[in-house]
Amino acid sequence: MSVLNAVLRAAVDGLLSPFRGLSPWVGLAVVSILTAVPMLLVFRATSNQTALAAVKKQIHAGLFEIRLFNDDLRAIMRAQLHILRQNLSYLRLSLPPMLWIVPPLVLLFAQLQFHYGYRGLEVGQPALLEATIRESALDGATGKPTLRLDVPDGLRVETPPLWIASESRFSWRIAAERQGDYTVKLGFAGQEVEKSVHAGERVVLRSPERLAPTFVNQLLYPAEPPLPGDGPFSAVSIGYPERALSLFGLETPWWVVYLGLLFLVILALRNAFGVTI
Amino acid sequence: MAVAAAVPAVAYVGPGAGFALVSSFLVIFVTLILALVSLLIWPIRTLWRVLRRTRRAKPTIRRLIVVGLDGQDPRLTDRFLAEGKLPNFQRLAEAGCYSKLRTTFPSVSPVAWSSFSTGANPAKHNIFDFLDRDLRTYLPTLSSTHIGSVDRFLKIGKYRLPLGKPELRLLRKSKPFWTILGEQNIWSTILRVPITFPPDRFYGAQLAAMCVPDLLGTQGTFLLFTTRPTGEKFKEGGMRVPLTGDTDGNGNGRYEATIEGPENLFLEDSPTMTLPLVIDLNGDGERGQVTLGKETVELERGKLTDWVTMSFRAAPGVKVNGICRMLLTETGEHVSLYMTPISLDPENPAMPISHPNYYSTYLAKLIGPYSALGLAEDTWALNEGVIDDSTFLELTYDIDDEREKMFFAAMDRLRMGSLVCVFDGTDRIQHMFWRYLDPDHPAGGDRDQAEHKDAIEKLYLRNDRLVGKVMDRLRDGDLLMVLSDHGFTSFRRGINLNSWLLANGYLKLKEGADGAAEWLRDVDWSGTRAYAVGLTGMFLNLEGRESEGVVKPGEEATALKAELIAKLNGLEDEEKGEIGITEVFDTAEIYHGPYKGNAPDFLIGYNSGYRTSWDCATGVVAGPVFEDNVKAWSGDHCVDPRQVPGVFFCSRPIDSEDPALIDVAPTALELFGLEPPAHMEGRSLFDTAQAKRGPGGES
Repeated sequence: MSVLNAVLRAAVDGLLSPFRGLSPWVGLAVVSILTAVPMLLVFRATSNQTALAAVKKQIHAGLFEIRLFNDDLRAIMRAQLHILRQNLSYLRLSLPPMLWIVPPLVLLFAQLQFHYGYRGLEVGQPALLEATIRESALDGATGKPTLRLDVPDGLRVETPPLWIASESRFSWRIAAERQGDYTVKLGFAGQEVEKSVHAGERVVLRSPERLAPTFVNQLLYPAEPPLPGDGPFSAVSIGYPERALSLFGLETPWWVVYLGLLFLVILALRNAFGVTI
Repeated sequence: MAVAAAVPAVAYVGPGAGFALVSSFLVIFVTLILALVSLLIWPIRTLWRVLRRTRRAKPTIRRLIVVGLDGQDPRLTDRFLAEGKLPNFQRLAEAGCYSKLRTTFPSVSPVAWSSFSTGANPAKHNIFDFLDRDLRTYLPTLSSTHIGSVDRFLKIGKYRLPLGKPELRLLRKSKPFWTILGEQNIWSTILRVPITFPPDRFYGAQLAAMCVPDLLGTQGTFLLFTTRPTGEKFKEGGMRVPLTGDTDGNGNGRYEATIEGPENLFLEDSPTMTLPLVIDLNGDGERGQVTLGKETVELERGKLTDWVTMSFRAAPGVKVNGICRMLLTETGEHVSLYMTPISLDPENPAMPISHPNYYSTYLAKLIGPYSALGLAEDTWALNEGVIDDSTFLELTYDIDDEREKMFFAAMDRLRMGSLVCVFDGTDRIQHMFWRYLDPDHPAGGDRDQAEHKDAIEKLYLRNDRLVGKVMDRLRDGDLLMVLSDHGFTSFRRGINLNSWLLANGYLKLKEGADGAAEWLRDVDWSGTRAYAVGLTGMFLNLEGRESEGVVKPGEEATALKAELIAKLNGLEDEEKGEIGITEVFDTAEIYHGPYKGNAPDFLIGYNSGYRTSWDCATGVVAGPVFEDNVKAWSGDHCVDPRQVPGVFFCSRPIDSEDPALIDVAPTALELFGLEPPAHMEGRSLFDTAQAKRGPGGES
C-alpha cells in the first residue's frame, strides 16, 4: 500500500504541478476530463450497454406515461411503479461497471482530497500541532511525559506543550513566519518522527495527519508515509484550514465542484464515445 | 469503511457509484415531482373538463375495443370457419355476432376508414381515392394530406433558418367519432387508422398511418444498392443506387454508395442531404458489416437486419433521423443490398406523426423502434422481385408484431374509453399472395411448389390467435368489435381505361406522342373529354374546373356521362370472354354532401378478377385495354364494392341484419351514451330501426 501510495502521490503531484499557481477550478477541470474518459471506456467495456439502453427507454416511457395519462391517478401510480422497478434494474446493471470504476476512483479521490481539501497555513496565523502517544509507550507513567519538538526556521512555536492526559495527546500552537514547506521533528522515548507543514496558498499536497500504518489509514490518508508501526506515536496532525471554492457566491467543497464537472464532461463525451450511461 | 472515515464521507462514495446513484435519484426525483404536479393539477383539470362538457353521457360500456383487420375477406373467413381453423373467431361469433360488413363506394382503404371514423359518405369526408389530381396540371396529388413548403427564411452565413414549419393539413373533413367522444371527456387511443396524418387533436392519443411519408418524402421508396448496371428503372416504389467497390477474390471487399436523403431546407436551393453507405464483406462473402454514417451493423446474406437508425445532418445541431432495415441479397460477382423505405424515426420524428407529439416517442421507448411509414409493408420490392416471398412475409409480420405490442400496451392502460387499432398485414399479404390462392392467376407460376402457397391461410390463423389474445384480456363492461374495411378478390386482368378512352375517341395524345409517358404527360387536353386518375375514378375534362377543360358543364356533360356509362357498363374482355366492368356509377347520384364536387365524375365498378391496370394507375395511355397481371400484387379490392364486403364480429349480438362500415361511428357514440351528430349517416348497430341506405352507404 505504501508503494502504491508513493506512486500515486508522485503521479497526481506531477499531473497537478502545472496548475499549482492557478485557481483550483483549472486543475479540477483537467482532472475531471482525464478521469471521465477512462471512466467512460471502462463503463462501456464492463456494462451491458444494450440492457442499460433498454432500461433507460423504459424509464423514459414511464415518464411520458405520467404526462400522457395525467387525468388518471391510477395510471400515474402504475407508471411510477414501473419507473421504480426499472430504476432498480438500472442500479443492478450499473453495479458491475461500478465495481471496476470505484476502487481506482477512491484512490484518486483520496489523493485529490489532500490537494484541494485544505489550505496551507497563512503567515502569522496560528495552527494547532498535535501528537498522540500510544498508551503502551507511556508504560503506566502518571506524570506529564517529556516530548521534544524541533521546528525549522520559518516556523515558530507560540505556546508550550499542552498535555491532555485523558487523550494521551500533546498540543502546541505554532505559526508560520514565511511561506514554504517545512518539516517538524518530534522525539519521544528515544524515537523521532517527522511531520510536514506547508505554509502558503498554492495547490500542493498537504497532509493534515500522519497516522499508524493500518490499511484504512493508508487508503484514506495517502499524503504522507504512515508512522512507524512499532513507534510511540499513534498520530501527528497539523490543523490546516479547510478549503472551499466559490460557486455562484456559495462556499462549496472541492469534491462537489469535481463531481459536477465530472458529470458535465461525461454527459458531453458519452455520445462521442458511444456509451450509454 | 467510507462512512466511518474522517474525511468527507459522502465524497468517498466516489463519483462512479455516485453517478449511478445520482442518476437513479434524479429519475426518482423527477418522477415524484411529475406525480406531485399531476396530483396537484388533477382537480383543476377535472373541473375544467367537467365545465367544458356539453352533455352528460351515460355510457352503457366501459371500453370499446375495435380491432381492424384491413381487408379480411368474408368468403375466406367463412371457409376457414367451416374448416374449424378459426376457433377464436368462432368463439367471438357465438358470444355475439358475425356478419358481412357493407363497405364504401369505392372499396378502398382511405375512403372506407374515413367513413368508418366519421360515419359519413365520402362526399361528407372528402376522401374519394388514394389519389386526386391537380386541376391545374392534371398531375396526381395525395387525396388526404396537403404538405406545403416554407417560403420565408432568415439567412445566417451559408445557412438559412426556416421561418415557420411547412404546412401540414389533413384533407379529410367531418369529425371522427373519437373527437366527439373526447369532447365529453371520453378517452380514445387510435392506432394506425388510415387517413390520420397529420394527426387529429382530441382527448386521447393517436398514431398516424396511411399517407405518413418516408424520409424521402414519398409514400415508400425502397433502395437497392447494387454493383449491377442501374439503367433499368423500377416501375414503382424503388430506386437503384450504384454501388462501387471490389473484392480481393476471396470474398473480402469494400463497397461504397451514397444515400440521397431528404431536402436540406437549411441550405440555399434545398440540396438533398447525403449519407455514406459502406459495405465491408469478409471471409466467404456471406457476412460483413454495413456502415451508415456512424452506425455499423452486422450483415449476413439473406438475413434482415434489425432497425438501423440513420442521421442526416442538416445544420449544426440539427439532424433528421430515419430508420430502415437492410438485407444483403447478393454477393459474388455482383453485390446488392436491399434497404426498406426509410421510415421517419418514431422516437425523434421529423414531422408530427402522433397526437400528442410525444406519443410516437413514448411508444418507441416502450416497445422499441417501429415503422412509422403510412404504407409500411414493402409491397413494391416484392412486386419488382427485389425481395422474395419469405422476406416480404418477415417484414410484414414484424410490422404487425410491432402493432400488436402497441395495441396491447394501449389496451392494458385503457380504463374507460375506446381503442381502435388497424392491422395492415391482412391487406398486404392478400394483395401479394392471392396468386397462390387463385388457380387461374397468371402470376401463380408453379403454385403447388411455392413455399408460401398457404400464406393467406396462415395469415387468417394468425389473425385468429390475435383475436383470442384480445378476448382473453377483455374485462366486464368491454365491447369488442373485429372488423375489416373491405374484402378481397383476385386481380388477374388489368384494364387501362385511358387506353380505352383513347381508342374510343374520348382522349387525345399530343402530336407525335405515343402515350408512354407517366402521369398523362402525353395527353393533349384540348382534345380530351375524359380521363382516368387513381384506382377507381374517372373524370370529365370539364370546362371551368380543369385548367384545360373542354366539356361544357350542363347538358353536354350530362350527355357525355350517360354515353360513357352506357358504353362502359358491362365492358367485355373479349380475349377471356368475361365482363371486365360490372357497373359504372355516377357519383352525382350516389354521393350526398358538401364535397361532392371534389369527387370523380364516375366510379368504376370492376368485376371480380379485374382492376385498373398498372399502366393506367401511373397515367400511361399506351398499350392494350386489357392485359394479364403478372405481378406478385395479385389480389385486390378496387372492384365493384358490392363484391367485396368486409367482416364484422362483435362480442355482443347486434340488431342490424345489414351492418355497414359507416354504422360503427354512430354505434360507438351511442354505446358511450352520446347522440350521433346529424352529419353521421350510419345507424347504431344496436338499434333495430334500420334505415334504407343507398349504394354510397348514406340513408
